[in-house]
Order: sequence, then structure tokens, then C-alpha cells
Amino acid sequence: MPEPIKLTVSHAPFWHSGSQISIKSYNILLATLLAVIPGLWQYGMPALAVVSLSIALAMIWELIMNFLTRRPITIGDGNAALLGMLFAMMLPATTPWWVIVVGTFFVIVIGKQIYGGLGGNPFHPAVLAMAVLMLSWGNYFDFNAALVNYQFDFNPVYPLLLSKSFGAGAVESFSLSDLLVGRQIGGIGTSFPLGLIIGGLYLMIRGYIRWEIAISFIVGMFVTAYAFHLANPEVYAGAGFHLLTGYSLLGAFFLATEDSSSPVNFIPMLIYGALGGLLAILIRNIGTHTDGVIFAILVINLANPIIDKIRPKTLGKVINYA
Amino acid sequence: MKRSFFGFIKPKLTYEAIADTQTEPAYVPVSRKLKFLLDTPLEHAGDLAMAVGDQVKSGQRVQIKADSGDYGLAGKSGKVTEIKPFLGMMQAQMTSVTIAVDEAASQAVDDEFKQQRQTPTLANAARFLQGLPGKPDFSPFFNPDKDIKAIVVLGVDRDLLATTSQYFVKTGIESIKTGIDILRKITGIHNVMLAVPEHLVQVAGASGAGVMTVDSEYPAAHPQLIVRHVLADEVKAGAEVSNSDVAFFSAEAVSAIGAAFNTGQLPLEKLVTFISKDGNKRLVSASLGTPLEDILHALNETVQDGDRVIFGGPMTGVAVYSTDQPVQADTNMILIQDRSQVAEPSDVACINCGECVRACPVNIPVNILVRFLEAEQYEAAADQAELHACIECGLCSFVCEPRIPIFQHIKLAKHMLERMKAEESHA
Repeated sequence: MPEPIKLTVSHAPFWHSGSQISIKSYNILLATLLAVIPGLWQYGMPALAVVSLSIALAMIWELIMNFLTRRPITIGDGNAALLGMLFAMMLPATTPWWVIVVGTFFVIVIGKQIYGGLGGNPFHPAVLAMAVLMLSWGNYFDFNAALVNYQFDFNPVYPLLLSKSFGAGAVESFSLSDLLVGRQIGGIGTSFPLGLIIGGLYLMIRGYIRWEIAISFIVGMFVTAYAFHLANPEVYAGAGFHLLTGYSLLGAFFLATEDSSSPVNFIPMLIYGALGGLLAILIRNIGTHTDGVIFAILVINLANPIIDKIRPKTLGKVINYA
Repeated sequence: MKRSFFGFIKPKLTYEAIADTQTEPAYVPVSRKLKFLLDTPLEHAGDLAMAVGDQVKSGQRVQIKADSGDYGLAGKSGKVTEIKPFLGMMQAQMTSVTIAVDEAASQAVDDEFKQQRQTPTLANAARFLQGLPGKPDFSPFFNPDKDIKAIVVLGVDRDLLATTSQYFVKTGIESIKTGIDILRKITGIHNVMLAVPEHLVQVAGASGAGVMTVDSEYPAAHPQLIVRHVLADEVKAGAEVSNSDVAFFSAEAVSAIGAAFNTGQLPLEKLVTFISKDGNKRLVSASLGTPLEDILHALNETVQDGDRVIFGGPMTGVAVYSTDQPVQADTNMILIQDRSQVAEPSDVACINCGECVRACPVNIPVNILVRFLEAEQYEAAADQAELHACIECGLCSFVCEPRIPIFQHIKLAKHMLERMKAEESHA
């Protein structure tokens, strides 16, 4: 009798859409490059060092945690590299190396791995790490001081700080088109809003980030900032200024949309995003911090499980009265 | 198989329409044996109704427990050569009966049905018709818990790619009409609907039943979704709608019933949509019980180590481990996948991307559900995450980014809950 053929046996479905975590990670990484490369061009080698170190360390922390927790090696899915990249995008180009070591430790170990890795984290890991660093070593994130040795052909003052300290009149010299094309100082990946917008649009069209969250975040921010501006145009800068400065667009497209810490249902996504935009402006305009995006996102991350309970009724729900 | 480039659009999988120039199905000759898989476990069968060495006539019921409704119809005459236990899905204890075909004796036809067909009653239908191609299921009519209000004849194929049911609507509407008339007579239910894809609506009008159009987007042809349309009023009122109100028959089954009463002969050929590795689709007609290898041989197809052979469609079928697997009354489709097409699942945890939630046709919170299932908290999954609302379409697994076998988790959970329930009532 001939040897029987060994068929592959597995379970349905036998087709797959082809999506993969790594494909998503690499696409988001690609989109970040649109903002990061102009940043590298603006800030030079120190910025490249920060970005490289951050990505490398994030992957190393991930690997260390994989070994410590005796779980499969997950750096291949690209998520650690992406988190390292997003973290670096928020940093000034002159960030000392040890801040990045500590920061990436918080990103990967405290922000992600102790919850069981990708998918378990209640907060965006990079946002969590950034909040820790901003509260612990705030002076390193004073962009005016950090970038004092650079020569720029535009006003080298962090626009958000200017508007916070001296009112809307102080930032009138920043035209929106200048801000849009990156004639402002800020984080490595946040001072070129045009790149963030193009990258964000690409990701929304490809479905790698949810447009519901990104758009509602921007709308929430715009409406709130506009309302403040209407109430007192001398103190509060306009909505366009707020959208194009600080971490606004990075938050809308790359931070608020992180899968694990954001809702999955339609209405919750809208509420989540709008709430984030609202809080960010509230913190900027009447809070003590210069930029509210980081803390706003932490708060909406926290609210996510509750918001996500609003969901459509299941069809054909079988009720057992037993 | 592919995700749309524009990822914000939900993936759309559409049912295939049968070709306008559908050729006659290829006929598969039986080489030497037929095999039947019966749901009754061998050890619980008691005195076997059949023994090794028994002669079987063409059209005779192959069964191990007399008059249990669990039987297969022998497509050819022959001799029983083997009766042994068979392990089915989810460790189901089954029995396989093998019959060596005796071409010389093939003229011998079992005529038990012929004598009974003048009196079409439910009891006779259950006795003689349940093994017909298409597997008409009369058990709902005998279940005291059920109150059948309507019959739906499925002229649509439940899974993607298959065109078996469509073929019967397209080419055999006459015998479907006869079958529907007989169903009305024996069940006393006059509300019969024929569910067809849009392009067959005109043909379906000749059936004498109410015609219902089924959307071409998967999974619109799933019986549970069709029920909602049939009983739309009750669904709106918020009443509990389940399959208990509607009985389903496939177009093939109804057509076979019609043919059986027309001719007095039970149809014994099963129509199967066969899809080879290169995606080439053919309709084949094979005797009930024909092993897969005979079909492969007749179609000049080969399978190799590592290939996947699926009985049923790409979304809900069952991968078999042997080319010995027979065509049964409910085998609508056989799909062969090359080893290079086999997508590996993974054990990565859910990343909460929400693709499954958006894909689910019945709005189950799949992201919550899968967390319970991975932790084997099946009761919590049923209580808090709508496990039992699942209609088993497989779309959640299809779109899953970390490639979690969600569909398998769900089926396993339902199976385990059933088993726990059975053990409780036993104790």
C-alpha cells in the first residue's frame, strides 16, 4: 500500500485578508518619515543621533523583556521600532543620551511589556513615557533652551510657550503657512506639520489608523481653540495656530490612534477623539502646562474602556432566562 | 483573499454567480468503494443493523441503528466490508461504514421507497428522504420545542465560491416546484420562500414559492441572516428570533425530493462544486459515498504532501486529513489549496485594532469576546460578550491582523458549553 498523502489540516477560514501587524507598523513608520526627514534636515546630526538611539534602545528593551518574560521574540512585528520612533519625534534634537535610555525604558518596559506586550497596554507607551519625563526632567523639554545653539532664519522661539506667556498678540508674527512648512522650532518630528498631515492622510486612506479618531481629535481641538479665540482674541491664539504647533498633529494622527488604547466602535471613537482635542486645548489655554496633548491623550486612554461600552446592539441576541 | 488598498473600506467578499454558459456537471465514476460517515457512535449503537458481509442494494439506507434517521443512501450496490469508529470534528464519535462496490449487482435497486411514495407523510419523509443529496432535515418538525412557521429553500450557497445550489435553481426549477408542493403537503406549512441571488429572481418565479432576493455580499446567505428577513416583523418587535421558527432546505434537497416523487427513484448523485489549486471551478456529480480520490482521479487532479483539502467553502469549511474522505449528502463543495497558499495562524494576543468588530455582521464585540475565549472563560463569554449570537461566518478570523484563530475559538467555546450542559443534565 502506498504511503498516504499528508494533508495540511487546519481550521476555517482558509482565506485571510493578508493584513499583518508588521505591515501596519512599517506603514506607520513610513508615514512618520515624512515628518522626521525634514526634522533631521532642520536639526542635523544630533537629531539623527536621537532618533537612531531611541529606535535602537526601544528594540533592545523589547528584546530584553522578551528574554526575561520567556515569551516569543516580538521585535519583528515592528511595534517596538515604531514606539521608539514616535518617542524620538517628540524630543528636542539635543536630548541627552541618558534621557533617551530612561525614556525608552518607560516606553517599552513600563508602558507596554508589563501589561503583557502589544495589545495589553492601557496607555500609549510613548505618551506615558513622555509624561513621566516631562514631569521628572521638565527642563530638558524646554525647546527654547534645548535649541539655543541653533541658527535659524526664522524666530527661534517655541510658539506655544510664546502664546502661553505673552498672549495671542505675541505669535502674530508666525504666519500659518510658515508654521505649516516647518518654520518653527519643536520636537524632531513635530516641527514639520505638512509632513504629519500627508503621513496621516496616507494612513487614514490605507486604514492603518482610524480616521474617526484622527478627524474628531482635530475637530475637537479646532472647535475648542476657536471658541477660546472668539471669547478673548487677545489672550488666546487662533485655532489654526494651535493645530500647527506643539504635538497637535502628531497626537491626532499617531498617538491618539494607537490600537490598544483607543476604542473600536464608531461613536466611541468620535467621542474619544473629540474629548482628546478638547482637553488638549483646555490644558494649553487654562492649565499650567505648555502643551496639553500628552496629558489629554493619557486621560482619554484612561476613559477608553468606559467610552467603548457604547456599542450597537448585537443582532439576534439570544436571551437565556434560565 | 486580499485586503483592499483603501483600508478604511470594509473588506467586501461577494458570492459568485453561476456562469451563464454552465456546462453539464462532470460525472465521476465510482471505482471500488463507497464510504459513509454516520453520527451514531459505534459503541452506543447496540445491535448493529448492518454487519460486515451484508449485501447492500443501490438506494438502500446504510445505517447501524435501525430507523434512527442517521443513515446514508448507498449510491451503488455492493457488500459491506468494514464498520469502524471514526473521529469527527471536535472529537465527535462517529462510525464509518465502507461498502465494496459490486458493478455486476448494480442493477439491484432498493424499492422500499417506491412502495411508500403514494403516501407522502412526515414520518415517511423523515424515514426515506433525509439521506437525499442536499440532506433535507425534517427533525425540526418533530421537535416539540419548535414551532415552525415558514420554510425557506436556499437557492443560494452559504459559502463563497460554491455554485451548487444556484445550479439547481438555474437548471431544475421544475423539480424544485414539485419538491415545494410536496413539502407543503407533508408539513402543512404553506409559507414557503425561495431565497435566490438577484440574477436568478426571474427563474425562481416559476417555483410557485415566494421569492426572496439575497444580497451578493458575504455572509448574506447565512441562514440566520435570512431568517431575519423572513421574520422581519418579529425582529423589529424585539422578539427572540432563532432558527426555531424556520426550517431550511437546500435547493438541491428540494429538487431531489421532487425528483424522488416524480420517478419513484431516490436520486443518489450529489452535485459538488470542485475548485482545484489553480482556482479552476467545475461542477461534478458523484454518487453519495464516493471517496475524494475517485473525484481527483476523474478530474485529473493531484494533491501532494502539505496541500489542504477543504470540504465546504473557504470561510466555513472543514480541512480533511485523508483523500479517503467521502462525498456526503451535505458536501456542497471541495476546495483544494496548494501548500503555498496555506496561511499560518499565530498565537499573538489581540491588539484591539477593531477590524473584527467592524467586520462582524451581527455586531458582536469580538475584541471583548476573544479575550474571554483565550482565557477559556466560556461562560463569561456567553454571558458578557454575546458568544451565542455568532452565526459562524468566519469574517473575524479573515480580517484579524494578529491572525488569531477567532472562529476556531468560538466553535470550541460553543462545543465546550454544550458539553458542560450535557454533563450537568446527566448528573
